[in-house]
Amino acid sequence: MREIGIEQLADIARGAGILGTGGGGDPYVGLLLAREAVRRHGPVTVVDIDEVPADATVVPISSMGAPTVLLEKLPSGREEINALRALEAVLGRPATHLVPIEIGGVNSMIPLAAAAQTGLPIVDGDAMGRAFPEAQMVLPGLIGVSNSPMALADDKGNTIVVRAVDNTEAERIARAVCVERGCQISCADTVLRGDQLRDGLVPATLTLAENLGRVVREAHAAHRDPVAEARELLGGVHLSAGKVVDVERRTEGGFARGRARLEGEGAVLELDFQNEHLLARRDGRVVATTPDLICVLDTETGEPVTTEGLRYGLRVTVLAAPCDPRWLSPAGLALTGPRYFGYDLDHHPLSG
Amino acid sequence: MSGGVRTIGVDVGPTNTDGALLAGDVPVATVKVPSAGDPVESVRTAVAALMREAPRGPRAAHVAIGLRTAAHAVTRRAGLTRVGVLRIGGPVSDAVPPLAQWPADLRTAVHAGSAMVDGGAGLTRADAVALDRDAVARFAGALAGRCDAFAVTGVFSPIDDTQEHEAAEIIRREVGTDAFVGLSAGSGGLGLIERENGTVLDAALSRHTRALADALTAALGALGLSSATVLVARGDGTLTSLEYLRLHPGLALGSGPAGTLRGAGLLTGLADAVVADVGARRIRVGVLAGGFPQESRPGVVIGGVPVSFPMPDLIRVPADDPDAFEEAVDRMQPGAARLPLVVVGGGSAASAAGSAPAADIVLPEHGLVAGAFGAALSPVGGAYEQLVRTGEAGEAHAVDEVREGARRSAVRAGADPRRVVVLPVERVPVPYLPGPAFSLRARAVGPPSPL
Repeated sequence: MREIGIEQLADIARGAGILGTGGGGDPYVGLLLAREAVRRHGPVTVVDIDEVPADATVVPISSMGAPTVLLEKLPSGREEINALRALEAVLGRPATHLVPIEIGGVNSMIPLAAAAQTGLPIVDGDAMGRAFPEAQMVLPGLIGVSNSPMALADDKGNTIVVRAVDNTEAERIARAVCVERGCQISCADTVLRGDQLRDGLVPATLTLAENLGRVVREAHAAHRDPVAEARELLGGVHLSAGKVVDVERRTEGGFARGRARLEGEGAVLELDFQNEHLLARRDGRVVATTPDLICVLDTETGEPVTTEGLRYGLRVTVLAAPCDPRWLSPAGLALTGPRYFGYDLDHHPLSG
Repeated sequence: MSGGVRTIGVDVGPTNTDGALLAGDVPVATVKVPSAGDPVESVRTAVAALMREAPRGPRAAHVAIGLRTAAHAVTRRAGLTRVGVLRIGGPVSDAVPPLAQWPADLRTAVHAGSAMVDGGAGLTRADAVALDRDAVARFAGALAGRCDAFAVTGVFSPIDDTQEHEAAEIIRREVGTDAFVGLSAGSGGLGLIERENGTVLDAALSRHTRALADALTAALGALGLSSATVLVARGDGTLTSLEYLRLHPGLALGSGPAGTLRGAGLLTGLADAVVADVGARRIRVGVLAGGFPQESRPGVVIGGVPVSFPMPDLIRVPADDPDAFEEAVDRMQPGAARLPLVVVGGGSAASAAGSAPAADIVLPEHGLVAGAFGAALSPVGGAYEQLVRTGEAGEAHAVDEVREGARRSAVRAGADPRRVVVLPVERVPVPYLPGPAFSLRARAVGPPSPL
C-alpha cells in the first residue's frame, strides 16, 4: 500500500501518454482533474493486486467519447461518481476499490480523480496494459467477466444502466448513448471480484506509468537519452529514429485513418494509425502490429507524440513494446489484433 | 515617385525600432532607430524619421505596428488590470476552477474573483444548457466597484457564442457600460482552459491596451497622420484594427515575430521558407507556410499560462551557437524537399547565414527591417473554427459556414468587406468521434477597410 500525491501525478500522466500508443486522449486534461481532486480531497491510496481481499468489489471507472469534447466540456467530477453510484445500486453492494480500465491516455487519470473524491483505494493495474478504442477490448472479457451491468452518466446528471447480451453489444449501445449525450460520458462497468484481478488485470501498470514518466523526465533533465531509458523499462524494441517527412490523413469506412512516414537511420518507417498507432512497416516490411504497443516519442525529450500531434519535421523515435501475453491468445487477437482493425495480416511477433 | 497607396510599417523590437514607408509594395524609405522605454515613443520616433526621409508625396493611408508590449506586461506582471472571471459551463466544468494552474504571483495580480454558473452550448443545440442569468447578475453585482474588467468564457462558445453576449449584457447592466467585458469566442478555438486563460489575459491587458491605443492615435495625429488607419500586427501574421484590439488585446501577443516572418516572405517573394531572424543575442527560427507563419500547436505558454492564441512556432537559439542554429533550421524544415532559408534581422545576419546548413540561402535587401515590411504589407485577418460530425452533404454546408465565419471575423477585425478572401479550409480528423468527425478551420484576409 502506498499513496499517490500531487507530485506523482505528472509522471503518471507522462507515462500514460507513452502507454497510450498515440491515442487514449491526451492525459493533460485528466492531469488537471486529478490534481484538483487530490488538492481538495487528499492523496489516493494505491494497493497491489495481492493486497485486495478475494471478495472485494473492484470497479473500473472511465470516460468514453472524444478527448476534444473533454477538453472543452471539463467534467465536474460528479459524472464518474454518478456512474459509480448507479452501478452500485444495481449490484446491491458498494464498490470497495476502483481501478483504471486502461492505463494509456486520459483514462489513467479519471479513476485517480474519482478515488480522491470517494476516498476509495485504487488498484495498481488496469484491464488493457495500454489504450484500446472500444469497451469490449479488456482482459476480463477473456476470462468471462461481462462488462454489463454498465452504468453510464452524462454531464447533466442522467444515468443509464446497460444490460447487454455480450460485451460488444454493450460497447455499441454505450457508444450510441455517448453520441446522443454530447459525445462524452462517464462509465462504471466490468466489475471484478478481488479473486479475479490476477487473471483480469495487467498488474502494476500505475507504477509502470509513474516509473516511465519519471525516467523520461529525469533522463531529459540530466541530458541522458530518455527514449533509450523508456525502451529499457518497457522491455521494448527500437524500430526507428528519424524525422517525420509525410503525414496523410483520410476517411475510410467511417474511420479517420492516417499514415505517417519517418525517415532516418537509412530506412523508411511507415506508421498506420486510427485512434492509436496500429502498424509499423520498415522499408515495406511489417515490423510491429497491434496489440503490441507502438509508441512514438519525441527523440530529444522522450515526451509521447499522439496521432494528432504527428506532423512534418518532428524528430521522433518509434518503439515497440510487448503487450500483455494474454492479448496474443486467439481470443485476445480476435478482439485487438490487426484483422479487427481491418488489416489483412496476422500479428507480427516482436523481435529484437 | 512610385505609385500605389502609401503605407507605413513599424516593428518595435527590444533593442531597435524599424520603420518602412512603402508606395504599393515599393520601399520609399526605411529607418532603424533605438527603441525607447515607451513603445509609443519608439513608434513616434520611427515614423517621424520616415517622414523626414521622404518629406514629399501623399500621406500614408495606414500605419501598421508590430509590438511586444502585451507579452512584456504579462511576463513582468506589470500594468495588468484585475479581472472578474465568469465561466458559463455548469452544471459541469467546475472540477478545475478558473486560474487553478496559474503561477501564484500572476494570479494575485489578475484575479478579482470568479464564478461558475449554469449554462453553455454543446456540440449540438440539444446539448445546450440554459444560462443562469440570476447567477451572472449576482456574480457581477458582488464585484461592482471592485473591478472594471471581466472575462466571460462559455463552454463551446466557438460553436455558439450567444450566451457569452447575454452574460456580457447582464454584467454591463450591473457594473456599468464602461467595464471591459472580454468574450472567449474571439480568443481561440476549442479547449476551455486555454481559451479561458486567453480571455482573462485579454481582460487583464484591457486598460494597458486602451491607453496604448489612445496614445498611438494621439502620437500619429500629432505627426499629421490623423486620417490614417492605425493597425496592429497579431500573432498569426495578419493585422487588426485598434478598435478590435481593444476588445481582444491578447491578439497582439506574438506580433513581433509574426511580422518578421511575414516580412521575410514579402521581401523574397517566397510563400514557403524557413526564416531565421538574427538578433543581437538570439536567433529565432520559424517557418512560413503559404505566406503565413506556421502556428505553434498545441499552443503556447505565456508568463506560465497556457493559451490558445495563434502564435508562430519558433525555436530560439543563442546567436553565437552555430551548431544549435544549424539544428534549429533543420528541425523546422517541413519535409525532405528543402525549403530555402531566408535570413533577416538586425544582428549579424551575414555571418549567421555563413554558418547555415541550407543549400539555398536568401539574404534579402531590407532584411534588416523585415518586421516593418511585414507589418506594412500584411492584410487584416480573421479565423473561424467548427467541429463537424456529418456526412458529405452536411460537411459541404459546414465548410460554407466556416468560410463565412472567417470572413465575418476578418471584417470585425477591420478588413474591407468588399475585398476579403477566404483561404483554403483546413480539415483535421477528430479521433474517437464516430461520424467521422472533423475540425474545420478557415482564415480570411483582406486589405484594411478605409476610414
